Amino acid sequence: MTPAWTLISAFAGALLVLLLPARAAGSARIIALVASIVGMAAAALSCLARLNTPDATPWSYDKPWVENLGIRFHLAADGISLTLLLLTGVVAVAGVLFSWNVEKRPRAFFAWFLTIIGGVYGVFLSRDAFLLFVCYEIVILPKYLLIAIWGSTNKEYGAMKLTMYSIAASALILIGLVAAYAAAGATSFDLLHLASTTYPPAMQAWAFPVLFLGFAILAGMWPFHTWAPTGHVAAPTAASMLLAGVVMKLGAFGALCVAMPLFPQGFELWRPLIAGLAVVGIVYGALTALTQRDLKFVIGYSSVSHMGFVLLGLAAANHWGLRGAVLQMISHGIIAGLLFGIAGRVVYERTHTRDLAELQKFDLWKSLPGAAIAFTLATAASMGLPGFSGFVAEISVIIGLWQSYPWLTIAVAFGIIITGAFSLRALHRAFFPARTANAAAAPPLPPLTWPEISAIGLLLAVSLAIGIYPKPWVVLIDDGLRSPLFQSILPLP
Amino acid sequence: MNYSALFLQLLPEAVLVLAALVMLGAAVATGKKPGRVFSSGVGVSIATFGILLAAAAMFFVPQDGATSTSLLENDPLARIFKAVVLGLGLLAVWLPPVRREIGNLGEYYALVLFALTGLLLAVGSNHLLFLFVALELASLSLYLLAGFPRTPRAAEASLKYFLFGGVSAAFMLFGISLLYGVSHSATLSGIAQVLEASQPSVLAMTGLAMLLVGLGFKLAAVPFHYWAPDVYQGAPATTVAIVSAASKAVGLVVLVRILQIGFPNVAGSAAWGEMTAGWSLWLAVLAAVSMIFGNLLALAQTSVRRLLAYSAVANTGYLLVALSANGPKAAASALFYVVVYGLATLGALAVTAAVERDRGDDRVSSFAGLIHRSPFQAVCLLVFLTSLAGIPPLAGFFGKFALFSNAMGESAAGGNPGLVWLVGLGVILSAVSLYYYLSVLKQAFVTSAPDELSEAHGLGPSHVLCVLLPAALLVILGLFPSLLLAPITRALMESLR
Repeated sequence: MTPAWTLISAFAGALLVLLLPARAAGSARIIALVASIVGMAAAALSCLARLNTPDATPWSYDKPWVENLGIRFHLAADGISLTLLLLTGVVAVAGVLFSWNVEKRPRAFFAWFLTIIGGVYGVFLSRDAFLLFVCYEIVILPKYLLIAIWGSTNKEYGAMKLTMYSIAASALILIGLVAAYAAAGATSFDLLHLASTTYPPAMQAWAFPVLFLGFAILAGMWPFHTWAPTGHVAAPTAASMLLAGVVMKLGAFGALCVAMPLFPQGFELWRPLIAGLAVVGIVYGALTALTQRDLKFVIGYSSVSHMGFVLLGLAAANHWGLRGAVLQMISHGIIAGLLFGIAGRVVYERTHTRDLAELQKFDLWKSLPGAAIAFTLATAASMGLPGFSGFVAEISVIIGLWQSYPWLTIAVAFGIIITGAFSLRALHRAFFPARTANAAAAPPLPPLTWPEISAIGLLLAVSLAIGIYPKPWVVLIDDGLRSPLFQSILPLP
Repeated sequence: MNYSALFLQLLPEAVLVLAALVMLGAAVATGKKPGRVFSSGVGVSIATFGILLAAAAMFFVPQDGATSTSLLENDPLARIFKAVVLGLGLLAVWLPPVRREIGNLGEYYALVLFALTGLLLAVGSNHLLFLFVALELASLSLYLLAGFPRTPRAAEASLKYFLFGGVSAAFMLFGISLLYGVSHSATLSGIAQVLEASQPSVLAMTGLAMLLVGLGFKLAAVPFHYWAPDVYQGAPATTVAIVSAASKAVGLVVLVRILQIGFPNVAGSAAWGEMTAGWSLWLAVLAAVSMIFGNLLALAQTSVRRLLAYSAVANTGYLLVALSANGPKAAASALFYVVVYGLATLGALAVTAAVERDRGDDRVSSFAGLIHRSPFQAVCLLVFLTSLAGIPPLAGFFGKFALFSNAMGESAAGGNPGLVWLVGLGVILSAVSLYYYLSVLKQAFVTSAPDELSEAHGLGPSHVLCVLLPAALLVILGLFPSLLLAPITRALMESLR
């Protein structure tokens, strides 16, 4: 199974779901589950194959597409792409499982869901800047519709804000890419070709921030993060999982594999600012999460804080930093998916509130122990406790940061402490309320369903697997970092 | 060149004129007798038959270059765009003809055929006076076509269109006379020779500027766009479709021909930091104001037809960005984009016409719940509007992408900033445009319909084709843009040689 099956399964699944007759609408979720499992399996098998034959040339598929502009349909999968594909596959399966009970227009829901998944796979696999941009843009409209139709809490505002931020980001990316294309001789959109061209420093100085900002908006960089909390909160559970879990990673991936390799001198120039903004994002996100009353807003701001680590790893611009950034992308993808799944699906569907004070009345530790245990574990992972993926990722980023900007680690330490504080506060208020003798008995809640349990189990298992045995992931990521793309940023060992 | 050869070359146009005469004859024959009415079915059938026959006649036109005369060019570019005009014209004819009662359908469809004849002649014209006559044939027909329903709004549309059109035609003619006075020739190659030999005079540049005013009116570029919103709102759907799709494509072909063949060495430059006077800079300014005004004014519209009018203005801006780069590849992608734009606008008009028939008006809120009333129309509307907004995998996305990257590629060599200011502006305003297209789609997909209207009326077969064909073409051209872009590029290169 080549990595291409990830793309094929998602888009074929979307098409199949759309073509279902109206009376078979209920089987849409089964098709979506099969399609996302095929995608996850393809990604996992490709990862294994790459681990077994590390010296082989990575898989690629390269066909001319539009000769007039030198555009090629060029897919390739190095280690970084493969791990991110696997992340996408896992979150997709969990997302379908958490959406098992969607009754409103299920065909359209799963078709848009699979379209997003397909677009994300496409971005991670593209080696042609045009193709990458196409896949990046494909995601925008389904995101809008998923939130605006199936969302909650101020959904049309959240959806439109998210869409406008995304389209503004793509405009910046397009300007940067087209400028690079023109300056590189206007013959090819191949990423390696664009990256091997040396652009004049004056151009890099303005083109890098344009391109990087385009990607960083989607990665939730402070102060362009405000779409993230409102969008995550308004979205239906599966869409929040996708947004926080993989769509934000598109931005980070683009910053790592497009913006930085294309304009290394521009990156060098703007690096301190990026590092500073990333640290502000970590601390600001955590502080804001500390004051939220809505459980989903807590998770939304914690995403901003965690994505700050990714940007920080990128700004460290050394081996540890980049490796940590990719690890954090994967780790946060899994953990954010888990947290949103529990808060949005498991808890909200039963209690119809996400307000921390309201949730106290339900005494969730008693009435929904499974969810409470899962959320506790997820919180531990999110805080970066050893044994979970978050620890491995954050420690790598901090080692990288120590090598580049030692003073900033002090600020990051504050961020980590506040992360602990807001995580424990939310966990405590939502799931472990203080019991008073004369309080009314908590209303009974329906127990966890099988799809919920399997989704929680899958995500927890992956997070634990990375935390306990990170070696295969690190091997794959290091394999990706040896790509000629990063030559200008990382000196070859 | 004898007359039979000339006739053979004009065979498609002759067929169209013949069809128009048959139409008038049929209208006269049926109109007088009580009880026998010239129905729209008859009119559409005759027009369809005439257009298809004209398309077939194109295969009988001799294709070797020797058939080109000093008046008429018969190069691949002309052939491609004659086919485009006929195709878009056919789709326009299939649109439901009347918003309100049109008095005389025979005359209406005959004028449609005359307008298409004028557009076909203009595509191939090589001589400024001949071009003027061809464009006036099309314009005079369109002025009348805009005013056909006897409503105050249509009358206003027609009158505005006519007054602005008349003034711009006067500008154009004056410009042509100046150019003729300077170069003693009204053929494009003749003018190019004279301009190459001597320093371009002020008179020649004035002439060119006046010519551009005339064509700017045809393309609805700011500040010559005032007619557009009223015509789009008041005129019958078929008229609007011809104005926005076929007529715009022809205007662009003519503009490319004039600038690239007649005036290649007075282009000047619009590149950042090295601006010099010339048509490139003029077009860049027109492009910038068209994109800014078109997109910002479209944000405020509540009528979908007016929204499409301002979107037409904005899209003209994108096209002019490519032309101001002064390169064949950018011009070719502009020509590709204008076809794609025409298809998307035509399709959007077809859906709007269906909504108007069901709900009585074209306000954005009338689109509420379209997905429940007619999933087919709603999904196709999604294709049209997202193509206009430039979302992949639709052809509009690729068109804009090719247009902007070729404009940069041909204006900025070796790291110069080139047209980056204009391309950047275009890309950002194009992002803004998503907002107003999305506001229509939001109504269609998200907002639920008022209860009293559950089912949409079925569409006639030709109306279905009008919606389905553009949507299918937009998807196909989005996935395989080379199907159209490669022939256009090749044809343009051949014409410029």
